[in-house]
Amino acid sequence: MSYVERRRFLWILFLMALTLLAIAANATTLARMRFEELAQQATAVARLRCLDTKSFWHNGEIWTDTQFEVIEQAKGALQATVIVRTLGGTVGHLHSRVEETPVFHPAEETYLFLWGREGQPLRVLGWSQGTFRIARDIKTGAQTVTQDSATASLFDPQVRRFVHEGIRNLPISIFQMKLRKALQGDPPR
Amino acid sequence: MKNSIAKHWRRQVSAWVHALLCGIWWGPAAQAYSFNMIVPDVRQPAAISGGSACPVRAHQLTTAGSIAVQWSTVLNTNPVTILTQNQTPSGRLSEIEQTITQSLAVWTGVSGTLLLPRTLTPLTRTATQNPCGADGLNSICFDQMDMAFTPGVLAFTRVITADVTGIQIGGSAISTELGQVLDADIYFSPGDPNTTFATPQAFPASPKAYDLESVLTHELGHFLGFSHSAVWSAIMFPYAPAPGTISGTRPTTHQPDAPLADDDRTGLRVLYPDPADTLHQGTISGRIIPANPLALPAFPSGVTGVFGSQVVAVDNSTGAVIGATLGGWSCVAPGPAQFDGAYQIAGLPVGNNYTVYAEALNGAANPSQFNNALTLLCRNAMTDAGWPPLQACIVPSVDINFTTRTRPGP
Repeated sequence: MSYVERRRFLWILFLMALTLLAIAANATTLARMRFEELAQQATAVARLRCLDTKSFWHNGEIWTDTQFEVIEQAKGALQATVIVRTLGGTVGHLHSRVEETPVFHPAEETYLFLWGREGQPLRVLGWSQGTFRIARDIKTGAQTVTQDSATASLFDPQVRRFVHEGIRNLPISIFQMKLRKALQGDPPR
Repeated sequence: MKNSIAKHWRRQVSAWVHALLCGIWWGPAAQAYSFNMIVPDVRQPAAISGGSACPVRAHQLTTAGSIAVQWSTVLNTNPVTILTQNQTPSGRLSEIEQTITQSLAVWTGVSGTLLLPRTLTPLTRTATQNPCGADGLNSICFDQMDMAFTPGVLAFTRVITADVTGIQIGGSAISTELGQVLDADIYFSPGDPNTTFATPQAFPASPKAYDLESVLTHELGHFLGFSHSAVWSAIMFPYAPAPGTISGTRPTTHQPDAPLADDDRTGLRVLYPDPADTLHQGTISGRIIPANPLALPAFPSGVTGVFGSQVVAVDNSTGAVIGATLGGWSCVAPGPAQFDGAYQIAGLPVGNNYTVYAEALNGAANPSQFNNALTLLCRNAMTDAGWPPLQACIVPSVDINFTTRTRPGP
């Protein structure tokens, strides 16, 4: 490829990127539980670090308990470590799966919108909708937040485009601001 | 056949990926439709594990009478969560049963698959309060309180498979195939007065209710081995249609699979292919690779293509999404999965022209953490003690630093 061709190619890439950014910014979203609804209905909202997971049989089903260290609390009163229970997991040769249930790995950090009733283990509100993973850029150290339910792009056949919904790659400071704002609208508990 | 399709489709690259589309594929293709996958336990003898760490699809057996489903006639009365037109006790049950039968018939009504009406035994009822559970019986429960429910969760299907053959749960048959579903139960949210489901008969007069048939048909897709689809029109799209609306159109005698989108049909043909079907033999396959190899993740090693890409084939004549897949990997026995950017959309009608759209999972999140279709493509010594290193792999993260370029195929 000659220099001119390469330059033209890079320009095309640049223009395509701009176009696609515009498309993404105007994308239609499907609202299942709005962020404000999640904040309102959650028993607790916290930034957590996964310590360990364990799957086991309980009442005829396979469940997974994930132990988290509480890094930062935005709502509710949590102890220093909490256990969040999700349906599904692996015990022996049996693999129990439920779509949209979040799976956690040791050392990863997430903001979770938790929900629980007295005497019951905590669960993740709305499953993938209440799970916001924190990613750290290796080079810059910048942290971003992505909602599990927003990670997959959706294809709208009518407009023949991939569109996005939910929170994706949001700088953590903006996410925290958004969270504070959503919680301020929450009636006192 | 594959070549004839590939020659005619038009290519279009979307977002931050470079799609290198190939008309000729050089190895076994990725089995990366949105299916529930499981990696066999190769630590066990090959006689029961198959000896390969390549992921296999969860599926039901398709011999006559191999799928049995029961439903619980125990319904919540306070609040009433299942709305029917007929208010007599027996009439209510008949109406609900008719909806279940209809929803099952939607899936068995797809042409070109081995999933046929005779694959199912007649639907049975149970008056047991809590029949859902890992007991080897496939059950549908409308009033079984399950700890997993939270606001925002309308219904779910829990599917149990085994990573070796010869396994049995409760009353299930002993598994003879890898990926065979041993137990699949469908739970409907039982106790939320704001969440009601209406049968098709009651639906017109229940604008605030979810369509029972749409939700049930979706859950039965999981029951059959599907994961979620990223196509809006698909019944396997993760979110239920809003209250007062339905997915697609109602099934009819002429079109029993009407609520399904082509994407669902194509997926079913891939999951339960009928060898005698000559119409849906088309395949589009290729690789999604970054123009800049440095954009590939440094860890784990050996990643040569974009992982977690979403690839969609649109039928040019109808504008419908004919098939969509989550691609990015391939596998050749004895495994493990290779993250080479490979994708394959199979089960396509031959003789048509298609446009392919592709996009990477443009997120910093690790796809292995959120989607069953991608979650368990790998096992290794960290996940399973004593896992053989030569059949071990690590699911890579997604790198978003992609440039874009189109390149014609052969």
